[in-house]
Amino acid sequence: MEQDNQEKEKGKKFWNFHDKNYKLLLLIPAILLVFSLIYMGVFYSQNNDFIYKDISLTGGTSVTIYEKVDIDNLTQILSEKFEDVNTREIYDLVTREQKAIIIEVKTGGCNESEIKPIKIILEDYLGYELINGDNASFECTGSALSESFYTQLLIAILFAFIFMAIVVFIIFRTFVPSIAVVLAAFADILMTLVLVNILGIQMSSAGIVAFLMLIGYSVDTDILLTTRILKRHEAPLNTRIFGAFKTGLTMTLTSLLAVTFALIVVSSFSIILTQIFTILVIGLSFDILNTWITNVSILKWHMNKKNEN
Amino acid sequence: MKIKLSWRIWLLIVIIALSLISIFNITMLSQKGIVITSVTPNSTAFEYGFRQKQIITQIDEQEIINLEDFANVMLGKYPSEENIKTIFKTKDSEIIWYSNNTPKITVAEIPKINIKTGLDLAGGSRALVQAQDKKLSSAEVNDLIDVISNRLNVYGIADMNIRPISDLAGNNFMLIEIAGGTPKDLEELISKQGKFEAKIGDEIVFIGGEKDISSVCRNDATCAGIEACQPSGEAYFCNFKFVIYLSEEAAKRHAEITEKLDINATNPEYLSEKLDLFLDDNLVSSLFISKGLKGQVTTQIQISGSERGETEEQAYNSAREEMHKLQTILITGSLPFKLEIVKLDTISPILGKDFIKSIFLAGIAALLAVVIIIFIRYKKFKSSIALLMTSISEIIIILGIASLIGWNLDLPSIAGIIAAIGTGIDSQIIILDESKQGKLLSIKQKMKRAFTIILGTYFTALVALIPLLWAGAGLLKGFAITTIIGISVGVLITRPAFIDMVKMIEKE
Repeated sequence: MEQDNQEKEKGKKFWNFHDKNYKLLLLIPAILLVFSLIYMGVFYSQNNDFIYKDISLTGGTSVTIYEKVDIDNLTQILSEKFEDVNTREIYDLVTREQKAIIIEVKTGGCNESEIKPIKIILEDYLGYELINGDNASFECTGSALSESFYTQLLIAILFAFIFMAIVVFIIFRTFVPSIAVVLAAFADILMTLVLVNILGIQMSSAGIVAFLMLIGYSVDTDILLTTRILKRHEAPLNTRIFGAFKTGLTMTLTSLLAVTFALIVVSSFSIILTQIFTILVIGLSFDILNTWITNVSILKWHMNKKNEN
Repeated sequence: MKIKLSWRIWLLIVIIALSLISIFNITMLSQKGIVITSVTPNSTAFEYGFRQKQIITQIDEQEIINLEDFANVMLGKYPSEENIKTIFKTKDSEIIWYSNNTPKITVAEIPKINIKTGLDLAGGSRALVQAQDKKLSSAEVNDLIDVISNRLNVYGIADMNIRPISDLAGNNFMLIEIAGGTPKDLEELISKQGKFEAKIGDEIVFIGGEKDISSVCRNDATCAGIEACQPSGEAYFCNFKFVIYLSEEAAKRHAEITEKLDINATNPEYLSEKLDLFLDDNLVSSLFISKGLKGQVTTQIQISGSERGETEEQAYNSAREEMHKLQTILITGSLPFKLEIVKLDTISPILGKDFIKSIFLAGIAALLAVVIIIFIRYKKFKSSIALLMTSISEIIIILGIASLIGWNLDLPSIAGIIAAIGTGIDSQIIILDESKQGKLLSIKQKMKRAFTIILGTYFTALVALIPLLWAGAGLLKGFAITTIIGISVGVLITRPAFIDMVKMIEKE
């Protein structure tokens, strides 16, 4: 009994603090958001783009070799011959033994004349023949196509975002709560993008898909919160927020945990899935901030103002 | 204790059962034998009646259960010195093979599951093809696909998939996938434009395609076939001949050009210049023109050539192949444009096998982690199990639908399944949570409330996926498709059933 009272006391203290300072709390995401916008502005002016692109988005050739290879030496040799070279190793999950290496070289097209020189240099270095589908695999994307892919994927994200916003407005039919959901989703994407860039991750087309997944995941909790606050009236506002918080946090944490688990398993062998899951982990973490500070504070502000009138 | 299940739960059970039937090849589970995956077209095996998808159950009275049986029997008999008889029993026919070698067929064990895996899982090559310096209309792409499919059939490539693809920017592509093929195979197929030109000197007399050639004689021994083969030193040579019929216009051109020619000085039966046949700018054959044709409007022309082989049979076969290739090109004409591969992927199936295992592991680990969290959070054993079962049934239903519509599961599709299961679990948490909220409400009202939230999240996710169906030439379509299937199955089938399960558990 005493413990219960103590907890209630603690809860009361928290909500007193929250009631007084929730507008101030908004400063945290606001500062992050402004920083992100400035960062992206600077990033764009320097790189003329929003992300660092990997060869699936710039065009180029990727060679996977399923043998043990000393990667440092090879990287150096390739770097002397080609401008933009990227090498990676793939390990076995259990034994940590090298299973394959991946070499990426930016080339203009997919013609034999562009792929062959890479193959010849590799074979010279390795001292054995690379047979496609046997001990190696070759992938190639032409640069013109990549450019068009990239633009289209950006458009797809833009439209996905706009469609999502429209549905949110249809569901809630009031301006401030709807815009709060959209803003929280936007902040999620932007902050994730900034962190991905700070980490220097080269994004593939699959990475862009991860951002689409993020739109879906981040809006879930915001819709839950907004529905509980706008459409339920049986409990005081703070109780409703807290209820939604408990549910929403369980949702985000289970997703985070599942994604982290998956990330550990796939990280050794699938670059594509690793990237998707990394972006999701970052995004879901930002979602906690943006739902439970940004969205909650805006909604609370809105509800209190409505009650005053 | 008698448990009464609601119709929604029954519906879920029925749909899971149907999905399992769709995933597992029920009719094939009990079927013994091996299946023919390809037969080289126009080969002797084809003439004997071997066809793709036939199931071989017995060879010479011996039961064939797996590939090893097949290999043992074949290696035991062939190659042999002389022609011998082998009786192949298939599921519904019998083929008596009489030869000194094995029939040219490829076989595989009968697949037990219906799920088709994409190239990134099964291994193979894929090329995205566009015309060089030209934007293709969708009609042009379809023409292109016709010509290429025709050709692939002629060249005897069996396990392939060609389809038109368009993207948001209005570009049209042709996508060719060959399971188990290498990019070199694909490049060879595509780089050969199949431009056929018949020239006298520098002047073109006629080209491949229906504009100049009104018909080509095939499969008719009176005007097409292989002539006698002769040994020449260590090798054999076989000649082929077939007649083509020129259009009026091409025949007139032929007359005008030959009119200017003189009689051959060393070989007075023929004209001074030869009719040179070029395939993709390479000279394939040079034919003498008999002097009687000079200035004549003739619509009938005989094409001939010869092929070499180490044995008589080899020479015969390569002559027949070459004849067939020329005939096809003369009929189908050249590809209307020079093609360019804009994206070429190959994935080694080695990665594929490991991959499926790892994905499976990752999935199970992730699901267990989720269930543990749910159990800690709600302290309800039955609900946690119900949640696990619901998620698993969702995976089964997604796979069931995928195999029903013949969808190729590729890497983006798997990411899509993960996304769908993830949002599914989120919705189930909302349901569990709502069941505890608002003490004054009935469980029915609570569930209705949960469902409004779920519908909201469903529609936002759905509309966000739609642009992806087209963007990037549809190569990421798999992600959108599986996610859409997954979340729709969730809202329509599994979620309502889960709600009923929660109701049942709450009532107890």
